[in-house]
Amino acid sequence: MIPNPLALIAEVTHRCPLHCVYCSNPLQLVATKAELSTEEWARVFQEANRLGVLHLHLTGGEPAARADLEELIAGARQAGLYTNLITSGLGISEARLSKLVDAGLDHIQLSFQDSRDEPAKWIAGAKGHAYKVALAEKIRQLPVAFTVNLVVHRQNLDHIEEMIEFIEQLQPERVEIAHAQYYGWALKNRDTLLPTPQQLENCTRAVEKAQVRLAGKVRIDSVVPDYYARYPKACMGGWGRRLMLIDPSGHALPCHAAGVIPGMQFDNVSEHSLEWIWQESAAFQRFRGEEWMPEPCKSCDRRTEDFGGCRCQALLLTGDANATDPVCSLSPDHHLIETARAAANSDAAQVSWSYRTNAG
Amino acid sequence: MPRPEQSSQPRLAPGCRWGTQDEQQVVLFPEGMIRVQGTGQNILELCDGQRTVQDIVATLSERYGAADPVKITEDVSSFLEVLQRKRIVDY
Repeated sequence: MIPNPLALIAEVTHRCPLHCVYCSNPLQLVATKAELSTEEWARVFQEANRLGVLHLHLTGGEPAARADLEELIAGARQAGLYTNLITSGLGISEARLSKLVDAGLDHIQLSFQDSRDEPAKWIAGAKGHAYKVALAEKIRQLPVAFTVNLVVHRQNLDHIEEMIEFIEQLQPERVEIAHAQYYGWALKNRDTLLPTPQQLENCTRAVEKAQVRLAGKVRIDSVVPDYYARYPKACMGGWGRRLMLIDPSGHALPCHAAGVIPGMQFDNVSEHSLEWIWQESAAFQRFRGEEWMPEPCKSCDRRTEDFGGCRCQALLLTGDANATDPVCSLSPDHHLIETARAAANSDAAQVSWSYRTNAG
Repeated sequence: MPRPEQSSQPRLAPGCRWGTQDEQQVVLFPEGMIRVQGTGQNILELCDGQRTVQDIVATLSERYGAADPVKITEDVSSFLEVLQRKRIVDY
């Protein structure tokens, strides 16, 4: 028997007013007309609860782009799920924010692109920074957990201290310093986003200092970006081990980016129960366990910790989803990462973004 | 943030609440959940934002009869301090 998933990630829409250059959505976005209805989501949340899921992460795109976000939250709360909203804040007025919290929202994770207005606009391809700052103040007045999420990369890491101080002013309980991860849109922009080793070292030091200074006030989480780690991350806590992601049209995926893997078929919640998808579907079994592993993973002591790393990253970088994640220093393809790091270290890289688009 | 004082009124932090998993009491918070049993559960259930640490210690001392109040105060304070650092409890 496979253990239950702990959390459900619901990408309720791919629509977004921002166009962030590191967006984690797939390059092939789901169109508005294909999105699940309010009732379908409510049913999915009930099924998730029966499957043992505790946490629901409502994300997108921008979840507030859905007119029924209040109802989705009410449905999730009714299903007994702990509900987290991952949002840019755009589309949430003060009145709507109160309604979301009244509907049962437990936690808001508000994303920032920068501490400064102009660079934030440059990264997001749209205005919104001042609005987010004002919204943060409103969030703080409501009975809801508040996390600020900041994506860091080469273009903003030189003022990491300033960004941490900026976030401190917003008074969240938690801060997540997230290094850009190089899948969909971020991979297109990798040469411009990947930090230098010096920046990374400064960032680690700045975060450690802030953790000491803000202990008991703000909890700061930050992870070394995998391009600079010795071993890969346990992507999604292992394939089909902890998390299930539902895309806007109801397809269930083991990971945000799994759609890039050729030959995969993702079952839809309108045709199958969540339980069947989790326990039986081919997609969730594909890289579960150790059967699929190549060497050096197969005989590696770390295989039960990192599960061979990220399948999507292996595919994107080597063309083979079965390969060891090339970020691993033991991978035969590790030179691909060294080359990418060298490209980031040269000053020759021209800034020419591929901004995230929207589907029709 | 220092340890709670005798007059502190601990409560679950915003967005942290009770839930159940496999019919066991858990406290849910943004990054996950903790199972609380025994003494921990007894302490947390008294953290309603009204009772002071002193009240909580008095209630627990009464419940456990002979137990030393100084020891109970110490246990309650260090337990709350750990959860405060995780941003699960406020006081």
